[in-house]
Amino acid sequence: MSAKLRAITRRQVLAGSAVSAAALASGFPAPVIANSDPIKIGYLPALTGPSSSTGVGINRGTELAVEEINAAGGVDGRKIELIVRDTQSDPTKAVNGAAELTRGQKVSVVFGPLNSGESLAVVPMLARTNTPQVHPCWVDSLTDPKKFPMCFRNAPTNQQIGGAANRYVMDVLKSKNVAVISDTTGYGTASVNAYVPMLKAAGADVVYQGNVDAANPDLKPELLRMRSAGAEAIMPWSVNAGFLSRIINTRGQMEWDVPIVGQTTLGSGQTQALLEKPEYWAKVYPNNFRSVCYAADGKLSDRTDAFLDRLKSAKIEMGDTLLWWIALGYDSPRMIAEAMKNVGTEPEQIVGFLNKLKEFPGVYGDISFTPERHDGYPDDEVVMVEANSLKNGAFKLAPGYGA
Amino acid sequence: MVESIVLSGVAVGCVYALIAITYNVMFSASRVFSFTAGTLGMLGGVLGSLFIARIGMPVAAGLVLALAGGAALGIVTEVVAVRPVLKSLDQHLYVLSTLALALMVQQFTAIEWSTEPQPFPRLLDIARGEFDQQFWLPMLACAIVIIGLELLYRHSLVGHAFLAIAEDNYAARALGLPERRLRMMSFALAGVIGALAGFAGGEMLLAFFANAPLLTFYGFVPVALGGMGNNRGAVVAGILLGLFQQAANFLVGGIFASVAVFTVFIIVLLARPEGLASAALRRHV
Amino acid sequence: MDTQATQSRPNCAHLLGSVNTFAALPFLVLMLVGVSFPLFGGGYWGVIATRACVYWVLVSGLNLVVGFAGQIAIGWVALLTLGAYTTSVLVAGNVVPALPPYLALATAAVVGAIFGLIVGLPALRLRTFYFAITTLGFATIVTQVALAWQSVTGGGVGVAGPVFPEPFSSQWGFYYFCFGLAAICTWMTANIAASRFGRALTAIRDAEVAAEACGISKPVLLGAVFLFSGAVAAVAGGLFAALQSYITPDAFTLDLSVLFFIAILIGGRSSIFGPLLGTILLTVLPEFAAPLVAWSTFLYAVLLLVIVLAIPGGIAAILDFKNRRPLESDRAIIPRPNLLERLFGAAPDAGALTLEQVALSFGGVRAIDGLDLEIRPGQVHGLIGPNGSGKTTTLNVISGYYAPQRGVVRLNGAEVPVLARHRRAPMRIARTFQTPRIVGSASVLQNVMIGGTIDGEGTFVESLLALPRHRRDEAMLRDSAMLALAVVGLERLALVRADRLQHSELRFTEIARALMLRPAFLLLDEPASGLSVDEITRLSELLLAISRSGTGVLLVEHHPDLIFDICHYVTVLNLGRTLAAGTPAEIRSHPEVINAYLGK
Repeated sequence: MSAKLRAITRRQVLAGSAVSAAALASGFPAPVIANSDPIKIGYLPALTGPSSSTGVGINRGTELAVEEINAAGGVDGRKIELIVRDTQSDPTKAVNGAAELTRGQKVSVVFGPLNSGESLAVVPMLARTNTPQVHPCWVDSLTDPKKFPMCFRNAPTNQQIGGAANRYVMDVLKSKNVAVISDTTGYGTASVNAYVPMLKAAGADVVYQGNVDAANPDLKPELLRMRSAGAEAIMPWSVNAGFLSRIINTRGQMEWDVPIVGQTTLGSGQTQALLEKPEYWAKVYPNNFRSVCYAADGKLSDRTDAFLDRLKSAKIEMGDTLLWWIALGYDSPRMIAEAMKNVGTEPEQIVGFLNKLKEFPGVYGDISFTPERHDGYPDDEVVMVEANSLKNGAFKLAPGYGA
Repeated sequence: MVESIVLSGVAVGCVYALIAITYNVMFSASRVFSFTAGTLGMLGGVLGSLFIARIGMPVAAGLVLALAGGAALGIVTEVVAVRPVLKSLDQHLYVLSTLALALMVQQFTAIEWSTEPQPFPRLLDIARGEFDQQFWLPMLACAIVIIGLELLYRHSLVGHAFLAIAEDNYAARALGLPERRLRMMSFALAGVIGALAGFAGGEMLLAFFANAPLLTFYGFVPVALGGMGNNRGAVVAGILLGLFQQAANFLVGGIFASVAVFTVFIIVLLARPEGLASAALRRHV
Repeated sequence: MDTQATQSRPNCAHLLGSVNTFAALPFLVLMLVGVSFPLFGGGYWGVIATRACVYWVLVSGLNLVVGFAGQIAIGWVALLTLGAYTTSVLVAGNVVPALPPYLALATAAVVGAIFGLIVGLPALRLRTFYFAITTLGFATIVTQVALAWQSVTGGGVGVAGPVFPEPFSSQWGFYYFCFGLAAICTWMTANIAASRFGRALTAIRDAEVAAEACGISKPVLLGAVFLFSGAVAAVAGGLFAALQSYITPDAFTLDLSVLFFIAILIGGRSSIFGPLLGTILLTVLPEFAAPLVAWSTFLYAVLLLVIVLAIPGGIAAILDFKNRRPLESDRAIIPRPNLLERLFGAAPDAGALTLEQVALSFGGVRAIDGLDLEIRPGQVHGLIGPNGSGKTTTLNVISGYYAPQRGVVRLNGAEVPVLARHRRAPMRIARTFQTPRIVGSASVLQNVMIGGTIDGEGTFVESLLALPRHRRDEAMLRDSAMLALAVVGLERLALVRADRLQHSELRFTEIARALMLRPAFLLLDEPASGLSVDEITRLSELLLAISRSGTGVLLVEHHPDLIFDICHYVTVLNLGRTLAAGTPAEIRSHPEVINAYLGK
């Protein structure tokens, strides 16, 4: 049965209240001269709720980076204070959190939200409050240098992601009949709306297209319809590990031999934990990023190896998430801190610096912006990987994958 | 496709029918509909998953504990939400008190257990087949409950006492039947039936707190269609509902399916407010 | 006697005046706090305060449905969703050309009114629990449609909320906008509460049978309330969307519906201030501590359970100070029948009320078997007989609760429509009931004013806006009700809550309510049961005076003294048939009557 009563919101305890308790005390605007006051960076992860897989993973990298920066003396002697508001995967709460961060806490920069659905609501709102924003969400409309001049994306766009996935399905797997499925979040809906036309333009036949409630326990009706429509590949776009695991499990129960190509979360440790049988994870090809994957010789890049060592010595868990999330979370505050180190904390200065950023060296990728392009991630870094090659949060490239 | 529709339709229909029976048993004992019926179903699934999958108990022990949990909630419902308001003149307070109790249990589960659907363990160690255990377990549970209730009502003293209280409250009390204790037992029985519904249906519905409002609604539809207190009508209506819902799901897909089910239900209710069984003339004034 | 009357009337009028200003005081305090809020509340609390105002706009309308009319509409968030999406989509202009925000809000109100009616109308046909479940179903359907109808609503992606133009686009500007609308809604619903419509709603809730007898049409009144409540909820939706600045289907959760519903019940039914406080309380409560946010719905449910079990009257009952004052212990009911002339005005002008060969069976039992009866104006007609002889059934047939299977009821020769219970009142046929059907939570005066509902001329909208005709109606009804209470001797208890009265006082209250109709025919169902000997004597004088004023009285009774003292004509029933009929003297000595009923 599908379409449950999407009744009660998924709520859990707000995280980071210790940090915010201190922050709440300072209701007055800090005088510009005080150079030992902490720099406030607003942070809007989804740490709980159905789309929290991204937030949980990214958060580990972010906290590590902020720790390291502060341990090295901070930015010009000022420590970075990360003010967290858990969006609980809820766009409404994301907006409220963003309002509080800008109006109440008066942060210099906002990092996040980390999910597209929440960003769709927050990006226009932050533009109105003239707050610089860096986010890693994929939906194409979430950057627009004209409409949102202060908003920067340090991750790929749906065009980049979808391009890689669709190319793999059509050119490498040679499947023309494709089933595209997502959940009913903003991210899922926007992705399907983006990818289906891309597939059709590339000559594919989209035999099934659907948005399904992620909490639906029974996906057999959907997969049966896909099979009767003659689908040769399933492309799921969701960050909900439960939902994705149910797609994979149902395919296995039906003993339907068809590849699953899609969202990166298909390969996360969370998804793996929910599989009924480990062999179900065969022929699952999520997208990932070259910088954090094993090359043909089975080795990671030096930068990534060093990062892995740092993670291990900081005892950060990798097995239940994805390495690139942690890497992205690690890179983002460092990029923001770099900006502040160079030009200070005034919004226009930060935006000016980012507009000229060339190849900021990140573990996850080298980020570059121009005044006309606020999508900072390089095109050729998006790759498809083999899910069941997971080791230390990183993967081997998918078979047949050239470049 | 057709086999899938029939199998899953009848199976989930049996779960709905069991919840409907839960409503009916509580109604017979007190002339009150309780919002906790769906919550009992939810608890059956959650407790089963908790005891068997998370804690690691054997299936039989998990089943017994889940049913005990259901009985406990049933008794709490009677004591806290039903008994105090039966005395009051305002006849509709029971709707509010049982709603409040149901919400409390649901929210507690959401926060303490999880807000996401959690896997329900495979109960019998048999390979997956066409006619899989996730389908025939609810059907078996439904059959057991129906037969059990028949035996109880027809052939046991307690069962006769239940029937007496349901038929004519005053006369039963005049005859000296311990009404309060019998009502509590009825609610405990209803709790067991509801928990069994959730447990047997766990492999299909998973252990998810939001099953509570879902079962509250879908479990009530057979009661409304089959007539209040009418268990046989409830079973037939429940299975029909399950088939209709699954047919809509498989043929058309999720969102339209649920809209269709709700709309049909509301239309039927408006056309026959007493249910498809006949109404009785009530002394009004 | 007359001087007593004139003395007591100014006292009561004075009391009523002071009650009104006292009642307004809490509202004025809140108003003051609200208007000056920006001065001491910070930016974040401004958002919370705005949200409370938006929620109250919805809850004020829902209050009429749940609090006053007693309908358990749990899923009202459906209308919030509808209003939010309608406003946002119309302003965004992706379906029709973009509308200015105020116009979009007004359109949403119209859409909300229509859907309020659709969601609410099943209440007329379904039992309480069934109706509650259907509203939940509607809430789910609306959310699912919002998810599915991507081309309009954006589906999971959502839409941006409307932005209202200057001066309401800033945070505090928008706060004042919402506050203003909340204040208007408070005023409007308070007007309805203090109107014949508000009283009629509580009558439908607590004494539906009596409400029908007073001529209150449930479908019409509930229809009006659902229209209003739907419109107001949709407006709240538009404001909600503006406040959120972006809406997705999962912003409209069952939790919100529960919040609205519980706020009303915590506040107390038949109250405006109670639910207002309740809404503010429930909106603000989770903000005091972060963990509370996650547990908020749990807390609301606990509060609801506590209220239901311990204080069913809610905050309003706690704040009801005037009803804590003890009543006099030895109260006597002293009717003043001489005031009837002032109440009735001209003598009602009607012919006889007749039953011809009326027969009615319940299943296999013949309750009435070919009954002929004639009630003449100006006469007291007694109807007696053993239990089960069909007395009350006869009364119920006349007042339209049962349809006879044979025979007709005629008024003035014209056939009276069967089963049209609420049309008896315009025909000036009034009745009382075997068990007093009273609105316990309302005052005695309000209960009696219910009796005159159909004599009001103002419409629902006029009451909403407190237009002159509404004020005239209220003054007229209040004066008549006070007079009616003076007639039955209860004017000193006018402002007391009805459920504090003794049983005998309730019976006389029912009579006062019936007198409000200036009835041509008054049907009384065992009015003397439970009365003391003195009270029965006073009742007899009163009934005789009523009949002398021209009313035809049908008295169903068990007390032989009462019957033989005041009846002009008596019919004795046995097993649904007339055993004997005649003057009291004839009946008293009738051998069959003595055998079957009176005994030697």
